Amino acid sequence: MSAAAAAADTYSPAAEAGSKRRERREELRRHLAEDADWPRADGRSLHDCRPAFMQTGPTTAASGSAYAEFGKTKVIVSVFGPRESKKAMLYSDTGRLNCSVSYTTFATGIRGQGLENKEYSGMLHKALEGAVMLHTFPKTTVDVFALVLESGGSDLPIIISCASLALADAGIMMYDLVTSVSVSCLGKNVIIDPTSDEEAWQDGGLMVSYMPARKEITQLTLTGEWTDGKITNAVELCMDACSKLCEILRERLKDPASLASE
Amino acid sequence: MSAETDETAAGGLAGEMEVEAYRRLFPLAFLERHLRESVRPDARRLAEARPTTVALGAVSSAHGSALVRLGDTAMLASIKLEVMSPPAETPDQGSVAVEFHMPPICSPLVRPGRPAEAAPVISKALEDVLMSSGMLNLKELCLISGKASWVAYLDVYCLNADGSLFDAALISVVAAFTHLEIPLVSVGDDGRVFTVGGNEGKTKYELVNREKRKLTLGDIPFPLTCALHKDSILADPTAEEESIIETSVTVVLDSSGRLVSIQKPGGGVTSMATIKACIGLAKERGQKLKEILTDSVEAMEVDQAE
Repeated sequence: MSAAAAAADTYSPAAEAGSKRRERREELRRHLAEDADWPRADGRSLHDCRPAFMQTGPTTAASGSAYAEFGKTKVIVSVFGPRESKKAMLYSDTGRLNCSVSYTTFATGIRGQGLENKEYSGMLHKALEGAVMLHTFPKTTVDVFALVLESGGSDLPIIISCASLALADAGIMMYDLVTSVSVSCLGKNVIIDPTSDEEAWQDGGLMVSYMPARKEITQLTLTGEWTDGKITNAVELCMDACSKLCEILRERLKDPASLASE
Repeated sequence: MSAETDETAAGGLAGEMEVEAYRRLFPLAFLERHLRESVRPDARRLAEARPTTVALGAVSSAHGSALVRLGDTAMLASIKLEVMSPPAETPDQGSVAVEFHMPPICSPLVRPGRPAEAAPVISKALEDVLMSSGMLNLKELCLISGKASWVAYLDVYCLNADGSLFDAALISVVAAFTHLEIPLVSVGDDGRVFTVGGNEGKTKYELVNREKRKLTLGDIPFPLTCALHKDSILADPTAEEESIIETSVTVVLDSSGRLVSIQKPGGGVTSMATIKACIGLAKERGQKLKEILTDSVEAMEVDQAE
């Protein structure tokens, strides 16, 4: 790849190395960690999610697809199949779910940085496999492909929610829609639906993937420093937000306003 | 897809079959029946291209970007500028690195890990047209002669593949370059270039590129792909038409009507008259695309003013 070779001796010019700018960022971080009702950089309060824009059907070539935009984060998920499994696969009574997440080269501020999130494909698979009725498509594979157009924080939870909307759009049988929300722990505060900056500053993170109608959690990941009481509160906060997000997904499925009429 | 329709096919009578089944089982006959009536399966006339829209500034993290829809085909082009030290042969020029991506979301034929065959072909064709058309003046991408110049990383992503990918890609590339805005930069003591935010009037740094914020584009290349089937010329074919018809001709003309490139990759033999007809169609299409591009620039300026 010539582009990769060329990338070695190029760099994207950073902002002026002003100490003022750094101070401002540090101040913002401190406020987030210590003040209970300090507004966030985008004007939200600590327990506000970004406005969710979701739509089915951007990719007509796929069996089902969905587009999600939460603030700066923009994701497209396409679902293909059920279709013939790869020849190398052994016979299987149940269907297979194949997930893959990729980033565009311009998704992050620095070119090509998004390629580092390799574990997302596996985590997307784990979050969805509990919800999909695999026995309804034996011997075949359903492919779930996600492309992050722009990364603006909370990428994985948005990919998961968007993927479950795309699966529903493709008519794949599921026990329930899966929605996912993450929170960041900053000092004594817990903030929901963090942006990239907030994720970078966090002491700990928690992501919950949830099936609201069945009240079942399909995936829970916890990183960093947490205390007992906080975890319980944070999980409840996530589950509540997941239920609300699920309502939005259901609305979209009932009234699939197409992307073109946007 | 064939298993469920086998029974109806065994009946052999096309008239008794459902239209959708007929379309899948006998795609060629289906298309030819349409062509006899001088109409296409999606109700277009033969020489008619699909509705085209251009939205500038679709990617906020890029310096220039555009989302182009050509019927159902969707293409997202983005330009990111980085700084490099120019090679000794061309100390006063910047460079452009073109890459065309077909991620697995765009088509059922692309699987992850196995890149699409078409992608590098289109990548190369885009680069050739871009460099030979004279639209860009690489000298404008120079910051300090011999020391620093811009390299424009141009990444084109196909979001939905429904035929005429090269056309959609080239339109999005051209649109992204019209949208491109070069950031204000200055040079630090260590010789590295950094961006200067805020107002260009009041800053303590010495600016390198106060005047070079937008590229002056030369003649802009506009493409048209035509599929050739017997005596018919089908402008802007869909994926379905491309899968049936083997022969296609891609013509690229610049905005003054000069020929930039003509490609006919394999397929059946074609007469010179047909090629001329294709060039004629491309000329008309170029005019339309020029209008669409101008409109999109105006639409963006109105958006920004509000």
